[in-house]
Formats: sequence, structure tokens, C-alpha cells
Amino acid sequence: MVLPLRPRACTVPCMIEVQSLAKRYGAFTAVRDLSFSVRPGEVLGLVGPNGAGKTTTLRCLAGIIPVTSGSVQVAGHDLLTEPVEAKRHLAFFADEPRLFEYLTVRQHLAFVARIYGVRDHEALARPLLEELELSEKADELPSELSRGMKQKLVIACGLLHSPSVMFFDEPLTGLDPLGIRRMKDSIVRRAQAGAAIVLSSHLLHLLEEVCTNVLILKKGEKVADGTLADVSAQFSNGETGVSLEEIFIRATGGSET
Amino acid sequence: MLGALLYLRLTSFRNLVVHRIKRLRQPKYLIGTAVALAYFYFILIHRSGPAGSPSSVAAQSMAQAGLVAAAFICAGLCVLALVRIAFLWVFPAENPGLRFTEPEIAFLFPAPVSRKSLIHFRLLSAQFAILFTSVLIAFFFNRAGYLGGHRAIRAVGWWVILSTFDLHVNGTKLTLSRLRETSHRFLLWRLAVIAAIVGYATAVFRSSIHLVNEYMNGPEALRSTPEVFIHQILYSPLFFWLTLPFRFVLAPYFATTAGDFALAIVPALLFLGLHYYWVSNTEARFEEGSIALAEKLAAAKAATQRGEMPKLGNSKRKALAGPFPLSPSGPPEIAFLWKNLLSMRSALFSRRALLVLVMLALWGSMALGPLLSRQARANGSDYYSPAIVGFTAMIAVYTVLLGPQVARQDLRGDLQNADILKTYPVEGWRIALGELLAPTLVLTLILWLAIVMLAAAVDPVGKVEWLTPGVRITVTLCLAASAPFLCLIQLLVPNTAMVLFPGWYQATRGRAGGIEMIGQRMIFGILQLLFALLVAVPAAGAAALVVFSSQWIFGIGPAVVLATLAVLAIMVSEAVVGVWWLGERFERFDLSTESK
Repeated sequence: MVLPLRPRACTVPCMIEVQSLAKRYGAFTAVRDLSFSVRPGEVLGLVGPNGAGKTTTLRCLAGIIPVTSGSVQVAGHDLLTEPVEAKRHLAFFADEPRLFEYLTVRQHLAFVARIYGVRDHEALARPLLEELELSEKADELPSELSRGMKQKLVIACGLLHSPSVMFFDEPLTGLDPLGIRRMKDSIVRRAQAGAAIVLSSHLLHLLEEVCTNVLILKKGEKVADGTLADVSAQFSNGETGVSLEEIFIRATGGSET
Repeated sequence: MLGALLYLRLTSFRNLVVHRIKRLRQPKYLIGTAVALAYFYFILIHRSGPAGSPSSVAAQSMAQAGLVAAAFICAGLCVLALVRIAFLWVFPAENPGLRFTEPEIAFLFPAPVSRKSLIHFRLLSAQFAILFTSVLIAFFFNRAGYLGGHRAIRAVGWWVILSTFDLHVNGTKLTLSRLRETSHRFLLWRLAVIAAIVGYATAVFRSSIHLVNEYMNGPEALRSTPEVFIHQILYSPLFFWLTLPFRFVLAPYFATTAGDFALAIVPALLFLGLHYYWVSNTEARFEEGSIALAEKLAAAKAATQRGEMPKLGNSKRKALAGPFPLSPSGPPEIAFLWKNLLSMRSALFSRRALLVLVMLALWGSMALGPLLSRQARANGSDYYSPAIVGFTAMIAVYTVLLGPQVARQDLRGDLQNADILKTYPVEGWRIALGELLAPTLVLTLILWLAIVMLAAAVDPVGKVEWLTPGVRITVTLCLAASAPFLCLIQLLVPNTAMVLFPGWYQATRGRAGGIEMIGQRMIFGILQLLFALLVAVPAAGAAALVVFSSQWIFGIGPAVVLATLAVLAIMVSEAVVGVWWLGERFERFDLSTESK
């Protein structure tokens, strides 16, 4: 069931503005005609069955892969024509922490600081490392860190340049309960500080807790988009207290295909 | 246990064959297979003559050359085997382990199987690989059939060599583990064995040098018949007894008739049997070590598949200080240089590897020094120059052609991190340039060293009239100026191949493979060579033209400078276009398309 879509007009400047985004791999269309926007302070949850195009969408938004057609604006910069300026404002957090094996925690931060031109990065990094409980591991290599610690290092690297736009792909994968709690708090705190956040996850309770908006994808197409209340209203058929899980199942037809 | 092993191996083999046949539907595997088959047909089958006794003068000279080559190869293999064994005693692992795969450990270690059965499983598993390798090597070295002997004899010969070595390595590991567990004099035991190995190696080496000296100073007739000389060496009393253990192992390989083989195989099998008894009856713990070894091998395999160089030695990766202080502002390319230099230091130079190199160099110089100094006194001071020039030129050529395949701390090493790199606010060409800087720097330094050595070693006594000190310095500086751009352009080839054909590139990185992988690697090798020629031809042509046309007017020195300027103009243009284009391609690079 594809509902009529209501593209939102940005009354305040949108940090992320996506218009008719499409991504094709040969004859296969991974994402088609996707439009949405995210304002400062909003957390958009990207949900959909496996193969719906969530990761592809995030990778297009982060400038990792080129879009086939459509446009993506990040912090007012077109990702296609001003990729460098657009990327200065964003951070992408992959589901698997990808680190340079031979750089210590501190060296990772030094490297990222140089890439983003972050002056006085040591002063910025110190509280960040303390907040993420990485101070004692500052001179250790990724191979000596647990998965959770690696995830924290990725976050520290991503936050060092104070991005105003953040993309999280399955941010809770592999984290312990305490790590999950901290990650959720961190996302909410960044949003409250004015960041625009898009996160993809299969964990619907996470989305209910942290997201202000939700976008449901199925087979590369948008099925629904709006605030949690809006989307609930679209699929609740007049019922009250319908969970996001139930809405998801109704919106996607309960199957991948 | 044997039944389970056979089931595992045969089923896995069948599935592997089916899988590889199925993937021939993909062009990259089909083309690779076609190239490899063509290579094997033309090089190994079509061109090789019939094995057997030589029937002509040419065949006889080939037999002589083959014998000398075989003698050197055998000597080299014996040295390698000795070094490997010595290495085990010098650096014993904390927990010596036998080589199992991770799935084998997961299924077999908790199973109701005795420790001895596990050892048998390990030995039998190794036999599959050894048998395959033996047949393959015997097939590859078919042209050594001019020596006489049947291909089957050579295959069995190789099987004896490889099996004995495998058993010896495992026996040594288990013995070391046993000694560590039970003996308070573990260090003393080790020192005694190490002393015995060093003494043995030195005695064999000095004996060989003595015999080579006799050969060099002997009558001309002896020198024209190397097979007689080698025979003399092999059967000289001292050498005979010194090399007896190796003789047992090598004799079946060198048997030329069925009778010789029958005589050789009996002591070889007895020697092999002794080794088997040693391994299967040494009660030692190997479980923890085997688990650690399996994890290490799996990590090395994963690293190779990622396009990284597996870590040498057993040491854990250690945190290192950056090669230079990295300030937070400035060109981002320098950050990539800093990162990749750090990676190179971490990947290549373990303390243990350096220590082994230093020890070998010391031992070699102590053993070889007296001989070389005698030769130098006898032949005058110019004795070394041609050898140094030849060796250095070879190093320079290998650095240019093979260096880019070895120094991979560039985009290829960051293939797994491509997503992260692409989120950086940096233009593609700057990422490409930054990534290429570290290997370019290292290869350039090696080339500069080679150029300086060549400058010093070419015609040291000043026989060549036009090679004045001024010209020598000018040529050296001009070559040095061109070196970085040559290295950069050469490095562009594999990096561009990786970005253009990531599937092909990744497929050629793994150690495992098959005939199609051999073909794919050959295609990449040929392309690298062709590209090197393509790049070099315009530059070399321009240089030759400028030198030829201007040396009559300005003299050789200024002509070389002018030629270098022309070469630099061409190479800088090629490098700029190449880096820019690579950056453009990298920005559009999407590894995920390979899995679609």
C-alpha cells in the first residue's frame, strides 16, 4: 500500500534536503524517487525490510556513492556540485566500525583533525575521549579495543569536527546494554544541540525512543514519511496505541517482497 | 578418524571444483582460466621436449646447466630448511601449535578424539596439500627432465622432501613444547641445539667454499664439465658425511633410473618413518598454540583478501609514534602520507624480522668474508664493480616493476575504508595523491640508493673517457630527479586497476585461488609491464632525441640536463593526468556494485 506523500516544506532552513533521489545498479533500482527533508534538531528514523534501500540511501546522503539522479543538499550545499563543502558539515557512522589498524586512538583523532582542518584538536579531543571513556585507551591500537570501544572511537572521530548533520547506519549493532543506552543518549543530546540526524535501524523501539520523524522504505520506494504521530495516524485505521512495530508491518505488507 | 578426514577432504574438494566451474560463467574467471590454460599449454607442455637421456650436444649442455641449477636449488632449499628449523629454536613460540583451520578446531577439539588422533589428522591433512604440490612441482620442472629420470620419480622425490620437512617442523614444535613443560633447563637445551645447528651450517659452508675454491683454481677441463665437479663435491668424504641427513631426503629426487630410485627410496622412507615416530610419540600440549595459530592464519588470510600485506613474524602489532609531527592544518595529502608511513613501519619491520636479517648478514659476512677478500687480492680492486653494477641495476629494475606490487600502503590498503575516505571533505585527486605519496617516497628512496651506488660503481677506475666527474654527477642528479615521477606513475597502475575493476583486483589478492586466479594475476602482471613500457617509451624517446641532437652543440652534460627536462615534462604531465583521473574515478568508485 503506497500512501499519497506529503513533502514537507522547510519553514526553518533544512539541514538535509533530498529531492527525487534515485540510485540504480545496472538494471536494478535500489532507490527510486525519494524526497524528504530533515531540520535542525530532528532525528529521522529510516526503516524498512532487508533490501529496502536504507543503507544505499544513507551512503548516497553521505556522498559515499554517487546518486543516479535527483539532488541532495547538506547544510545548504549541493552534494553533487559542492561535495567538499557539504562533507565538512556531515559525519557518517557505519554499522561496522572501520578503523585504521595501525593508528592508535590518539593518532586516529590527529589524522581526522588534519583532514577536517580542526585546529586545537587536542583540547577538543580530551573531553570527547573522557565522555566516551577512551582516555585510558588513547595510545592503544584498534586491535586492542573491544567492539564497543571501536564504535566509540568511530564516534569520537565523527564528532571531532562538530558536524551539524549525522548519518547512523544501524548504530546499536554489537553494543552491550550500557553501550546502547549511552548511544541513544548521545544521539538525543546531539539532536537537542541542533544537529540533524538520520539513522537506519531494524530496532523499532530505538526509533520510538529517539526519533522525531520516521521514513518507511520498501523496495527502494518511500511508503510513509512524517512525524511518528503522523505515520501512526496513517496506518492505525482509527485504533489507538498502535505500536511502531505494528505500523511497520502494516506499511510494508509484512514481507520483504 | 581417517574416514571422517577423507569425507571432509573429498567432499570439500568436490564442492570446490563445482563452485569454480560454476563461477566460470563470470567473464573475469573465464578469461583468467583461458589465459592460464594457454600459458600452461605453450610454456609447459608445447615447448617441453621428451624427458630422458640427452641425444644431442644442445641437450647435453642443457643437462649440464640443469644439473648445476638443480644443485643450486637443492643447496638453497637445504639452507632455507635449516634457517626455518634454526628460527624455531631461536624464537620458540610461547605455545607451539600445529596447523589446524578454525573450523577444524571448532569441530574436532571438543569432539571425543584422542590427542594422538588429532596429530594424525593434522599429518594426514598436510598430506593432501603435499601430494598436490609434489605433482605440481614435478610437472612444472619437467624441463629438468634433461637430467634423466621419470616425472613420477620426481613427484615422489618431492613428496619425500616436503613430507620429511613437514614432520621435522612439527616434531621440533612439539619437542620445544615438551621441553618447556618438563625441563628446567629449557634455555640450555635450546642453546645446545642452536650451537649444533650453527656449527653444522658453518662446517658445511666452509667445506663448500673450500671445494668451490678448488674448482675455481683447478684445471680448465674440470671447469667445462660441471657435472663431474658436482659429483666430486657430493662424494668428497667430508661433504658426504656432513650432508648425510639431507642426502637421505634428496636422493629419491635425483634418481635417474628405477634401480637408483629403489635404492634411494628405502633409506628415505626409513628416515621419514623415524620422523613420524618422533612426531606421533612426543607427548606435548599443542591445543592453545594451535588455536592461536589458526586465528593468526585466518587474520592473515583476511588481511591478504583485503589487499593488505600479512604481518611478518609472530609479533603482535604494536603502537608506534608517527613518522613526523602532524599539525592539524595544512594540505590533507600530508595526513595520508603520515598515516601510510606509519602503516608501512608497522607492517614491514618487526624487531624479530630485523634481528634475523642482522644475524644472517653477520653469519654470511663471517663465513664469506675471507673468501671474497682473497679473491679481491688475487684479481685487483676492480673485481667487485661489475657484480655491484649488475646487482644494483637489477634492484632498480625490480623496484620499478615489482615495487608497486609490494609497497601497497595506498588506496589498495584502504579498500575496506573507502567509504570513510569518501566522506572526508577532500577532493578525489587529493585523496589519490595523498594515498600514493608514502609508497612513492619509499620506492624513490630505494631508487635513489641504487642510483648513487651505480654512480659510484660504474667504471670506478675511469676507463670511459667521456664519463668525467661532472657528467657522472649530472647524470646521477638527472636520474634522481626523474625517479619520484617514475615511481608515482608505476603506482598509479595497480591503484587505477583496483578502482576500475575492484572485483578483479580483490580476486587476485587472496592466496587461495585456482587456475583462473593464476590467469588473472598474469593479466595484471602483463598490464603493469605494458603500462610501464607505454609510459617509458615517450619519455625515453624524447630523452634520446634531445641527447642525440644537442650533445654535438652543448656537450654531453648539458644535453643530459636538457633531456631530463624533456623527460620530466612528459612524466609530470602523465602523473598529473593520472592522479586527477584516479581521483575522479575514486569519487565514483562503489565497491558495493561488485556484490550486486
